[in-house]
Amino acid sequence: MGLAWGDEAGQTEVVSEATARPAWWPHFSSTVRSTALTARLGRALGIAFAICFLTGLLSYTQYLTWAWLPKPVVPTWGYRLTQGVHVITGVACIPLVLVKLWSVYPTSFRWPLFPSVKRVLEIASAVILVAAVLVQLVTGFLNLLDWRPFRWDFVVVHYALAYVVIGAVLLHVAIKLPDIRYGLGTRLADGDVLTEIPWDQNPASHSNAGPLPPPVTPGISRRGVLVATGTGIGLVVITSLGQTVRPLEPLGLLAVRQPNKGPQGVPVGRTAEEAGVADVITSPDWRLTITGPNPYGLSLADLEPLAIREARLPIAAGQGWSAVADWRGLSLLDLVVRAGGNRESRVIVRSLAKGGITKAELTGSQLEQAILATHVNGQRLDPDHGYPLRLVGPNRAELFDTKWLGTIEVLS
Amino acid sequence: MKALRIALAVVGLLMIGYGAIRLLHGLPPAMLAVLGGWLLAVLIIHHGVLSPLVLAIGAALRGLPDRGRGFVQGGLITAAAVVAIAIPLIMRQFTQPPAKAMLLQDYRLTLLVLLLIIAGGTCAAYAIRVARDRKTSAPSGPPTS
Repeated sequence: MGLAWGDEAGQTEVVSEATARPAWWPHFSSTVRSTALTARLGRALGIAFAICFLTGLLSYTQYLTWAWLPKPVVPTWGYRLTQGVHVITGVACIPLVLVKLWSVYPTSFRWPLFPSVKRVLEIASAVILVAAVLVQLVTGFLNLLDWRPFRWDFVVVHYALAYVVIGAVLLHVAIKLPDIRYGLGTRLADGDVLTEIPWDQNPASHSNAGPLPPPVTPGISRRGVLVATGTGIGLVVITSLGQTVRPLEPLGLLAVRQPNKGPQGVPVGRTAEEAGVADVITSPDWRLTITGPNPYGLSLADLEPLAIREARLPIAAGQGWSAVADWRGLSLLDLVVRAGGNRESRVIVRSLAKGGITKAELTGSQLEQAILATHVNGQRLDPDHGYPLRLVGPNRAELFDTKWLGTIEVLS
Repeated sequence: MKALRIALAVVGLLMIGYGAIRLLHGLPPAMLAVLGGWLLAVLIIHHGVLSPLVLAIGAALRGLPDRGRGFVQGGLITAAAVVAIAIPLIMRQFTQPPAKAMLLQDYRLTLLVLLLIIAGGTCAAYAIRVARDRKTSAPSGPPTS
């Protein structure tokens, strides 16, 4: 659909085509729907998707071990912020998308169904967009609940689908640009009513009928829809953020996690039992093996005198929850140097956990700042927090704060 | 504008293609079929179940007086946002080890609290509107006939 108009005769022909449909074909009469409303909802959604995409890309770098890719240690709360924003924005998108789709539902009922190749391509792009967006948001939210009935590798699909979503949004904007310009350039109350008849074929639209009084909305107004949607999203955001913003924790009526309820004041991503390490880590024979030019081992008793390094750092999960804690433990770099490595070394720490992500690779400033924690908030680590030894560092994803350490490999 | 539209479309298609290739390479064929099923299912559930349900609710509200109807519609939109998020939480509550500090609330109760707050807020907004209309002695809304 474009802004350019055909001659008078051609236009009449199109109009008659749109109206020459079967009598049983659905007709949408609500005057609340309008391109002016849809364009505003779409603009908010576009901004939200852009935020999700950029913060998502940042989060994905946590999984990468490319040598040239810097993994900064400042700000220490960086991942906590970007991933908290990613998750809460994604959650906010769920109601927003539903309202946006409601606002354009009539366009699914255009007549005739397949008038032209161009229209078929437009339908195809819309199908890809809606399907990808809904799967992305639904599976993203289920993943927050550790609920993966879809069985596929969440990270692989969430990452790949993000490109499909953003690509489909760009394509959608390209197709709808004239409508978007009209919608955003028109006062909300004045905009043409959006029905199943495209506005350029609708004799009752402003553009075809000339200046008209604003459509009457007897029930809720278009502004009312925006206010109600915004209020709903605001409620969801405020009652969800408690899982990462401490002052909002008491208001966390829809918060998935309640950091205060975690052992030692910190929630747990994966428990010792889920990781299959409950027996191994309580064995008195536990030893930390350090491999490298000068390999050696440390027993439980060896850890205590070395655990003198302290730091106040957040644990920040990809699922958007986070909690700050006081950590005490050993300096990873000290152990690496003793094994014959240095600040330039590439170091892999390995967990005793069975399955899932069981290792992390550290270089540069991440290596220098990393702590192998024995204590959290003044207490010996709880088994679920990675007893006897776990990695913590600034500006890292909880998934790579490897727990239940067994081996450290000093590689180069 | 035409150049911008073409540029957006080209970049968009390239990104869709890149995402699709990543999916084809990253997932075994059986899992791709599952993903295809999900992509289809969300469309059917949204377009075939959810949307008709919303239309039916809208139609059922048509009997209400116009001024009140607007507030009922607004309250329902706000409530729907909260309900959409609360339903999966309710389905998953109390299923996880307590150490994870997750899903430890009875979300049926917290949803009820939120719905009461929304209902109260909607009633208050309606009362303010009625009082204001009375003060100006003429409805401030658009003409209804």
